[in-house]
Amino acid sequence: MSERANFLDPTVLAGLDNLELRARIAVEGFVSGLHKSPHRGFSVEFNDYRNYYPGDDMRHVDWKLYARSEKFYIKQYEDETNVRCMIVLDCSASMAYASGSLTKLDYGITLASALAYFIMQQRDAVGLITFDEALKDYIPPKCRQPHLMRILRSLAQTSAAKKTNAIRPLTDLAASLRKKSMVILITDMLDDEDRVITTLQNLRAMGNDVIVFHLMDDAELNFPFNEASEFVDMENNESYITSPAAIRSVYLENLNEYLSFCKKQCQSSGVDYCLMNTSKPLDEALSAYMTKRAKSF
Amino acid sequence: MVFLTPLFLFGLLAALIPIAIHLIRKEKPPKLLFSTIRFMKKTSKKLVLFQQLQQLFLLMLRAGVLALLVLAFARPLFDQTLARLVDSDPQSAVILLDVSMSMRYGNTFELAKEAALDLLDTMTSGDEVALVAFSGSAEFVNELDTDIESIRSRINGIVEPGYQSTRYMPNLRLADQLLEDSRYENRAVYLISDFQAIGDDDVRDNWKFAPGVAFTGIDVGNERSENLSITDVRSPDQLLEDNSVQEILARVRSTGNAYLDRGEVSLVLNGDVIDRRSIDLANKSEEVISFTANFADTGSYVGEIRVSGDSFSPDNSYYFTVDVLPKINVLVVNGEASENWFDDEGHWFSLAVSGTAQSPFELTTVEPEEMTASLLRQNDVAVLLNVGSLSSAQAASLTSFVEEGGSVLFAPGDRVEATTFNSLFADVTPALIQPSTNIDDYLVIADFDRRHPILRPLNTDWSARFQQYWALQAVADAQIIMQFDSTEAAFVERKVGAGRAMIFASSLDLEWNNLALQGLYLPFVHETLRHLVQAESGARAFTVGDSFSVGRPDANQNVSVIDVDGSEYSLNAQDPTVRAEKPGVLVAVNGAMRANYAINVQARESNFGKLPVTNLYDRIINPDTSPIQSREVQTAQMIREIEGPQRIWWWLLCLVAVLIVAEVIIANRTYR
Repeated sequence: MSERANFLDPTVLAGLDNLELRARIAVEGFVSGLHKSPHRGFSVEFNDYRNYYPGDDMRHVDWKLYARSEKFYIKQYEDETNVRCMIVLDCSASMAYASGSLTKLDYGITLASALAYFIMQQRDAVGLITFDEALKDYIPPKCRQPHLMRILRSLAQTSAAKKTNAIRPLTDLAASLRKKSMVILITDMLDDEDRVITTLQNLRAMGNDVIVFHLMDDAELNFPFNEASEFVDMENNESYITSPAAIRSVYLENLNEYLSFCKKQCQSSGVDYCLMNTSKPLDEALSAYMTKRAKSF
Repeated sequence: MVFLTPLFLFGLLAALIPIAIHLIRKEKPPKLLFSTIRFMKKTSKKLVLFQQLQQLFLLMLRAGVLALLVLAFARPLFDQTLARLVDSDPQSAVILLDVSMSMRYGNTFELAKEAALDLLDTMTSGDEVALVAFSGSAEFVNELDTDIESIRSRINGIVEPGYQSTRYMPNLRLADQLLEDSRYENRAVYLISDFQAIGDDDVRDNWKFAPGVAFTGIDVGNERSENLSITDVRSPDQLLEDNSVQEILARVRSTGNAYLDRGEVSLVLNGDVIDRRSIDLANKSEEVISFTANFADTGSYVGEIRVSGDSFSPDNSYYFTVDVLPKINVLVVNGEASENWFDDEGHWFSLAVSGTAQSPFELTTVEPEEMTASLLRQNDVAVLLNVGSLSSAQAASLTSFVEEGGSVLFAPGDRVEATTFNSLFADVTPALIQPSTNIDDYLVIADFDRRHPILRPLNTDWSARFQQYWALQAVADAQIIMQFDSTEAAFVERKVGAGRAMIFASSLDLEWNNLALQGLYLPFVHETLRHLVQAESGARAFTVGDSFSVGRPDANQNVSVIDVDGSEYSLNAQDPTVRAEKPGVLVAVNGAMRANYAINVQARESNFGKLPVTNLYDRIINPDTSPIQSREVQTAQMIREIEGPQRIWWWLLCLVAVLIVAEVIIANRTYR
């Protein structure tokens, strides 16, 4: 158990430069601790033929039919997955905050890559949206292996900047989804939480499954500061000089009120809400996903 | 409120440490990037204000803790009891304030006055205080008095110290005597001085204070003093007009605590700088500087040797006077002149008077019948060698000559007839002569007045033998200055009018004695003639503190004095005595006579070598005196006795402990 815990320690994972390796270790470390999954062995069933076009993979040529008709036909199968999953990652400036060595964005990237890897392992399609105050990158959901590399490459190139505006990418995503999908929002929710949750509720109302991984740094959750300091807001550069010890109780009260609001609103609309402390292992997040997927499919 | 250990009060500055830290650390808080400040903005302003007040209170609390700690260590006590106790044990104190010349160094005297005034501040009502300002002796004395304010004003009234030398013992004795009549048993002597080692010159004196008299020495002298002083100057007092070029020697030493090896010495004559010399004392303790001065004209010269290059000026000048005199005209009336030198009465006398290369005398020799009144007036002194008879007119002329200021020396021999001599010269002779009866054996000079100006430098054994002599019967106002071993007078002096007459009992050739063959003969003749002419010429060099006469004893008019500072005053002719207070040249004008007197400081006072106070204390304190007799010790003991029961320090420490607990509690509730 201790080895598993080590592999899922976000700070250990963050030390690995290779994002794929990071995702694989996280997932395998998580999976090895599970019981045998009842969802294994999704079959790939034949659906139709089509004509061969140069460039098609020769492995998919139906050679028996070629022997009969001397024409190349490519076998087409039914959709390889029954889950389409969109990971929506917040890359705003506030995600760059870290009380230790691991920023919330690093944690989010690791989580996103692990989820993508995990989803791909289960033959589900996965896509990625990164945003700050605007859409930064959009990768449609697919389930092929090279697609995973594309997702990981995009995640690797992501950096935190600018303000948060989750409404726009979520609205665009809702408009683009034609099938029932799973939307995984990884964010610190430092935005207009009313509108964000409303958007998430809309997504949920459209029949999608929505999971919100609310990332919070340990310092944000516990406010352990003592020295009088000038706190500078990372998104809007506003500053506030205060004595942390003096306002700790007020801060925590305000924070808890905010978190309660988020959780309550999400739960009331069927959005799965998972508050993540970035100092905690990733298995909590993966477990949440597994639970959600098991319920849904 | 008084304190047992008041020096700890300097620690009150430590109370500034928290304030200083507060001010130093009152810097802009560090910037801290945070994801959002949205949850902070609802902090209450009242809470912030309360925290600021808490911090201010903490600051005061910490400063107060430190201040109370310092106060506790200073051991405070309420002084009402102390004042009562001190008042119940009044003391009699004598303050000895040094006003010698060395106290002029730098600000030493100001420090001494401050110390004396501070001492008075410690006195309480009922204490009696005496003040003695002293140098070699007591300059003035305020006897024991409870009016401390009058003592204070007396101290403030001392403008500057004098120029005299320091001596401690006589003044300590005086203080002890003053305390003999004190009202109280608590007696103390406070000596405020620079504690020169030369002040304790009587080291064999085993005198000590009376039992019970406490002694406190307050040293206000400089630890480092630089001084060059002229310890001695050798110059002629009197010169003859032909002897003009003279060597003047000055001896210079470094006498401060810090050795000075460079300086400059100059010779000043009548206000003009004659010569300057540099001195180098690097390899020697003193240097003798030789100056050459030319005293070409007759009259009085005022000389000064100045040294420069040090920090103490009062002893930088050494004054001297030189009188250049005209030659003394001597008229010898030879009563037994002869062409053969061995028969000539005046041969040996003439040899003694004018036989030297530079004789101070101008000699004229005549026979008795040639002596006239005009000839007498041309000379300063007449010497009658074996003159048997003169005419009545000549005798009258001689008497007038002497009464008007001339002088005469009688040396009667075998040609003199007693009755005639006594009748002719009755008005001028110091003694009547009678034929001697004791002619069987020779006589010698057995006794003489060693203080007489003639015989002072001839203070030696007189070996001359006198075979014959006249028995002298001194007149009433005459003075016998030399006696034979038969107790008969040998040499007698008498003042006659403005002049002077002397008579020698024997001849001044070899006929009656062998005095002329003695080594003393020439100086005896010279000193006698000088004395007859310049009897008023006394010492012209004095030191500060000396009292001396500036008048002629036979003068009847007042003496005008121009003091060293230029002030003029007149002295009664009967008592023309002045006291030298300052160094310089004092001028006395007595009729046509004008005399300069050089006044110098005592060279010993220039020595700044220190005397440890403890050494003096050990010498003079009485073994029977309790060591706690001094006021300071007694007061300290009283304070200890009172402070013990009060234990204010204990309560202060308790308060400090409470404050520390309060500080810990409040500090833990106060956010930074």
